[in-house]
Amino acid sequence: MRDNSAIIQTIGLKKYYNGESIKAIDNVDLSISRGEVVVIIGPSGSGKSTYLRSLNLLELPTDGSIIFNGVDIADKNVDINVHRQKMGMVFQHFNLFPHMTVLGNMTLAPMKLLGKTREEAEAKAMELLRRVGLENRADAYPSQLSGGQKQRIAIVRALCMEPDVMLFDEPTSALDPEMVGEVLELMKQLADEGMTMVVVTHEMGFAREVADRVIFMCDGKIAEEGTPEEIFTAPQNPRTKQFLDSIL
Amino acid sequence: MKEFFQDFKDEFILNFVDGNMWKWLVDGLKNTLIITFFSLIIGVVIGIIVASIRSTFDKNREVYRRRGGFFYYFQWCINALANVYLTVIRGTPVVVQLLISYFIIFSSSRNGIGIAIFAFGLNSGAYVAEIFRGGIMAIDHGQFEAGRSLGFNYFQTMMYIIIPQVIKAVLPTLCNEFIVLLKETSVAGYVGIMDLTKAGELIRGRTFSAFMPLIAVALIYLVVVVVLTQLVKILERRLRKNER
Ligand SMILES: Nc1ncnc2c1ncn2[C@@H]1O[C@H](COP(=O)(O)OP(=O)(O)OP(=O)(O)O)[C@@H](O)[C@H]1O
Ligand SMILES: [Mg+2]
Repeated sequence: MRDNSAIIQTIGLKKYYNGESIKAIDNVDLSISRGEVVVIIGPSGSGKSTYLRSLNLLELPTDGSIIFNGVDIADKNVDINVHRQKMGMVFQHFNLFPHMTVLGNMTLAPMKLLGKTREEAEAKAMELLRRVGLENRADAYPSQLSGGQKQRIAIVRALCMEPDVMLFDEPTSALDPEMVGEVLELMKQLADEGMTMVVVTHEMGFAREVADRVIFMCDGKIAEEGTPEEIFTAPQNPRTKQFLDSIL
Repeated sequence: MKEFFQDFKDEFILNFVDGNMWKWLVDGLKNTLIITFFSLIIGVVIGIIVASIRSTFDKNREVYRRRGGFFYYFQWCINALANVYLTVIRGTPVVVQLLISYFIIFSSSRNGIGIAIFAFGLNSGAYVAEIFRGGIMAIDHGQFEAGRSLGFNYFQTMMYIIIPQVIKAVLPTLCNEFIVLLKETSVAGYVGIMDLTKAGELIRGRTFSAFMPLIAVALIYLVVVVVLTQLVKILERRLRKNER
């Protein structure tokens, strides 16, 4: 059952609420290889967020395994904090720390968790800021940034920890339309550089262009998966077809 | 009219100037401020600890229960203890707490001010705990998740990300707690401490004239409270400006 080529794999993953009455994720098996970009789509309430958030244990699974870099991190004896350092997460609402500058946001975890000196952490942060063209905002506070800037900072904040995989939960859903492009562009760059990414999104253009694999979730299960080509041009499952018709 | 001023002057001299009794008021005010200040410091320390215990338990209940065993029961007990503390302190009058501290808990000590600081500090801790707990609960849950997802453990997330934001948010409320406490300490006289109120009482007992000393005491409280309130307002404005 274990897939040794996978960087992250879930086996029989379940998340139930209220006993068994709500099956937010129901027996999901999925393995993601290094460098792969997986995009998860599906109707509201289908369990996309719950699944993504289970991968770094922000949601505690009811049952099943999550194998990350060869370790079952769903095991209650594992120190999840160490593994989370290697899994970057980007949220719909950015979640930048409002009491810190951009640079403060980006250097906190590397300094406190990786033992970097301030100089090292700031050098790395500035390098990433230059890459996204925001080096002149290093001393700004989050409230002084636009939504698109906030999200790009949130992405590079996660990158400062040099993660093995990046998880995105609807990273552009809270943005004004004119700012969606800059965030997607950065994500595309990351993908091109070989970052392993799991992305929950409603941006079908992005899925089509960047995904190696598209997962369609429905009622807590993987209803269909395939290349973007397969999913978008010839969906097999009627539910997939219905969903795509409803949003395109 | 002239008579009134003459009376006023005589009364003033009788109550404050003769025997340098104005110094009692100064000493009393000093004691009031000392008791209030140190009580609030104790209150803040207790408050942060109790608030952290309670919100830690609330937020991690699921994790702890999952891990089960001793750890869960240990957390449960500490949380229950914190709840008993809050219930007892908030359910009894502060004067009674002060009397119990003075005549039962520290019955062998006559360090009145120290005991008063203990009693008012313990009392204030319960109220400060609720202020902090409200502050912690008001922080967007996304902040916790962002901290945890970077790899911080629960306590690091609290220390580096949550508490600094909470302190900023509750600072004005804490200052108001100082003002409330300042007035509450006026019962310190019950255990023979000469605070501001007691000083006024002593003067009244000496001169058998109530008006001057009591109005003076009231005015002093009022001036201190009004000045502090203005300072809090300025602080609030500056904090808000900082937010941008
Ligand atoms: N804390 C909770 N308690 C009870 N039910 C929950 C809880 N969190 C999620 N659910 C349920 O789990 C299911 C999956 O939710 P989830 O948020 O993962 O959906 P989603 O696919 O991300 O939807 P959306 O596109 O709206 O974000 C939903 O039915 C939701 O109501
Ligand atoms: Mg969602």
